[in-house]
Amino acid sequence: MDADLQSVGRSIHAAFPTRTRNPLRALDQKAMELASQDQELRAALFRFVDVTPACRSLDDLARHLTDYLEEVDERPPPIEAAMRMSGTRAGRAALGAAAAAGVRHMAHRFIVGESPREAIKPIRHLWEHGAAVSLDLLGEATVTAAEADRYAERCMDALETLAAAAPAWPARPVLESDSLGALPRVNLSVKVSALSPLLRPEAPEVGREDAARRMRPLLVRAGELGAHLHIDMESVDTLEATMGLVFELLDETELRDGPSAGVVMQAYLRESPAQLEQVIDWARTTRRTTPLVVRLVKGAYWDHEVVDARQHGWTPPVFEEKRDSDRNFEALTRTLLEAWPHVRPAIASHNLRSVAHAIAVNRELGRQDGDLELQVLRGLGDDLAAALAAQGMRVRIYCPVGDMVAGMAYLVRRLLENTSNESFLGEQQRGVSIDELLAAP
Amino acid sequence: MSFRNEPSLELRRAPVRESLTAALRELDARLPLEVSILIGGERGAASGLESTDPGAPERLVANAGSAGADEAAAAVAAAERGFREWSARSASERAEVLRGAAARLRERRLELAALQVRECAKPWAEADGDVCEAIDFLEYYAAEAVELDRGRELLQVPGERNTMRYSPRGVAAVIAPWNFPLAIPCGMTAAALAAGNAAVLKPAEQSPASAGMLVEALHGAGVPPDALALLPGYGEAGAALVRDPRVHVIAFTGSGAVGLEIVRAAAETPEGQHHVKRVVSEMGGKNCVIVDSDADLDDVVPELVHSAFGFAGQKCSAAARTLVHEAVADKLLERLSGAVRVLEVGQAESFSTEVPPVIDREAQERVLRYRELGADHLAASAERVPDQGWFVPPTVVYGLAEDSPVNREEVFGPLLSVTSVRDVDEAMDVVDSLPLALTGGLFSRSPATVERVAARTPVGNLYVNRGITGAMVGRQPFGGNRRSGVGSKAGGPDYLLQFVEPRIVTENTMRHGIPVE
Repeated sequence: MDADLQSVGRSIHAAFPTRTRNPLRALDQKAMELASQDQELRAALFRFVDVTPACRSLDDLARHLTDYLEEVDERPPPIEAAMRMSGTRAGRAALGAAAAAGVRHMAHRFIVGESPREAIKPIRHLWEHGAAVSLDLLGEATVTAAEADRYAERCMDALETLAAAAPAWPARPVLESDSLGALPRVNLSVKVSALSPLLRPEAPEVGREDAARRMRPLLVRAGELGAHLHIDMESVDTLEATMGLVFELLDETELRDGPSAGVVMQAYLRESPAQLEQVIDWARTTRRTTPLVVRLVKGAYWDHEVVDARQHGWTPPVFEEKRDSDRNFEALTRTLLEAWPHVRPAIASHNLRSVAHAIAVNRELGRQDGDLELQVLRGLGDDLAAALAAQGMRVRIYCPVGDMVAGMAYLVRRLLENTSNESFLGEQQRGVSIDELLAAP
Repeated sequence: MSFRNEPSLELRRAPVRESLTAALRELDARLPLEVSILIGGERGAASGLESTDPGAPERLVANAGSAGADEAAAAVAAAERGFREWSARSASERAEVLRGAAARLRERRLELAALQVRECAKPWAEADGDVCEAIDFLEYYAAEAVELDRGRELLQVPGERNTMRYSPRGVAAVIAPWNFPLAIPCGMTAAALAAGNAAVLKPAEQSPASAGMLVEALHGAGVPPDALALLPGYGEAGAALVRDPRVHVIAFTGSGAVGLEIVRAAAETPEGQHHVKRVVSEMGGKNCVIVDSDADLDDVVPELVHSAFGFAGQKCSAAARTLVHEAVADKLLERLSGAVRVLEVGQAESFSTEVPPVIDREAQERVLRYRELGADHLAASAERVPDQGWFVPPTVVYGLAEDSPVNREEVFGPLLSVTSVRDVDEAMDVVDSLPLALTGGLFSRSPATVERVAARTPVGNLYVNRGITGAMVGRQPFGGNRRSGVGSKAGGPDYLLQFVEPRIVTENTMRHGIPVE
């Protein structure tokens, strides 16, 4: 198996597109590199990106920017130049405009459009180039019933918009079927926390019922449209509500025959092996006709989970060593692949080793490549997606949609990930050798 | 110092919630509890005072004694004896006893939380937080007292030795409120005892049972019977303690009216009283949260809702006013109103409850009176409120005149007044115009604004970009300024100084012109 893993990994690596072709992307990368080298600068950058949508004018933007940069001890020359500009009103306007453009540019890298309608074109482009997508609607936190209703409406609109556009896409057999049957062209990811203002960690059933009320019509409509609905996982605070909702709702009589639906497992959770067993048991015994898709991810709320636990005096629910998460990811990958055809496995990772491992294990189990789905995030895993598509693998890109205000929390999280030295992307950028990239965790 | 906060219960885990529900069932089977007057280890009456469930007033939680002036005098007499015994022990011996009491509370923490759910309608998360805080106070002051016992370094010159040490004052009267029925009486009592004083505890009439369990833990861990007395009852015992010339320290937390009365009464120095009383008086707040235009409303709304309506606003730290920049006022009001409309108002024992009933009929009538004053400016109110129990619908009012009593006086209930301001400076002028200065909040993502507000605000505890309640021992020493308090900081490094007197000894070490050291 390991020999296979190594050769799979190397061939994907060789298929990575070269970066020099896109000068704008290279510039972006430069800024990220600068940020990942200096923690103070990184903090200033994040705080600025975070406040951008709340600034009322270019002047206000420039003041915030220089405020944050004041706190950076060693300022690189371009930053010094920016500070000098802030002395005059005209300078601040210019600085504010440049900074706003910078943030917009960064946002566009991660966010595929402001609305589903706007996203249709880039989605079709990706499809033609061998990648399917799952659309994710970004939004402000849901704190009122009206906001939850609005999110549900936006989900409904996204389903309709995508379903209207998808029939015109060219045939891509790898993306629209596996050996169990057809796969929906339309795929939408939804967040339980956005569907109810009542989700509270100490009373999961209240939020669960409220969210289920808004989720049900979406599932029904997705079934009618032949679309796939994927229920995202968020922090541990909403874990019980989310799992409860999935098990309860998907088993309802009128939803048993459709639509295709999926859940997420987070490998950084210490409790994830038991959780996955629970999901597989459910998938084995449910009377649903379409197999549950299980997306395996590392987990995106690591800092939140650790800080929250530390402030309360709890043991963090996540592995604190990255290699423990990586090992667990591989163990769960195997469990998940072994559970096919009761579940359809989707491995979501930017880590070359994890991806190659999944492909190798799937082959070792005697399965078709087409029965494994690989997933990446827009803006972070584009090169990997291109390489996987070139290798004939089924790859799906998670594509967020939304405006700047709505997308800010998402953008900050992605930027954090992209500038972390521990991440696979960080290692790759630093030019770590292929042997190290593929080494066992 | 190796202090760390007691971890709260992880209520997001179903088995943890089930263990609490079971503890409540066990407690219910034992109700009503009995809380006797306890002086010098002698149990007195356990009748005269009834403690009931605010969510179901016909449910009797405890029968307690009702101490008056005679019991207060007897308790102080016993405490004078107890003081001699207790103060003779070393600081580290006393600290061990307090740590033992903390261990006893820890063993019973589910039961203690359940008792607060019943006796004060305190929702689980906050009841558990209260128990943790009580444990923290015991352990923190134990460690601080050992530290304080080392004294302070002074300047030394040849031929002279200067030492500074701290000695206990004597008998401390502790007069406690019901809203933190375990933590606050525990904090004030633990501080007095840790520093070597004897204590007479007079708990609020609404929460005698929680105080009973505290005293049980302290005696059980080794506090001598004479060194700690319990006087459940109404105001009479408290008033007698304040006037008693044998009392050295008065530690009070409660309303402004009573607190200021204590300050005045304690200033008397009748013939035969050989000391000036020290008063630690923690009173109310009119706490304002400033929201600047660059705030993240996704954070502001839930934090504000929790600060204003958690435990029905019955915390001295709770948010009473929001001063919001006009550029985001409409948006904030809309989202805040929507969030308040879906607040779950209900019995404290339900994990889904966010707003429980207020403590008693008097409180309900008071809050409803203030709510009526703002009726013309109602922005939002919860839709459903149970009809049994002392419930008040959580309410937001908007745009009330600055001189409205709703904007000036402490309401101590689930009522939040929102005011639009031109900018942060106008907001700070409003804060400055208030006589109370306990907690405050600021939501801003500008470091310059944060610094400007921090430098100017008169409040004792300013919270930036977070809720304004839930101070943690050792992390957020807590207490107000202006008419909110005397500036002492509970759970902080200088709190024990209120309970001791400094003594300096200067010794000439010269013998025949030669320094002998």
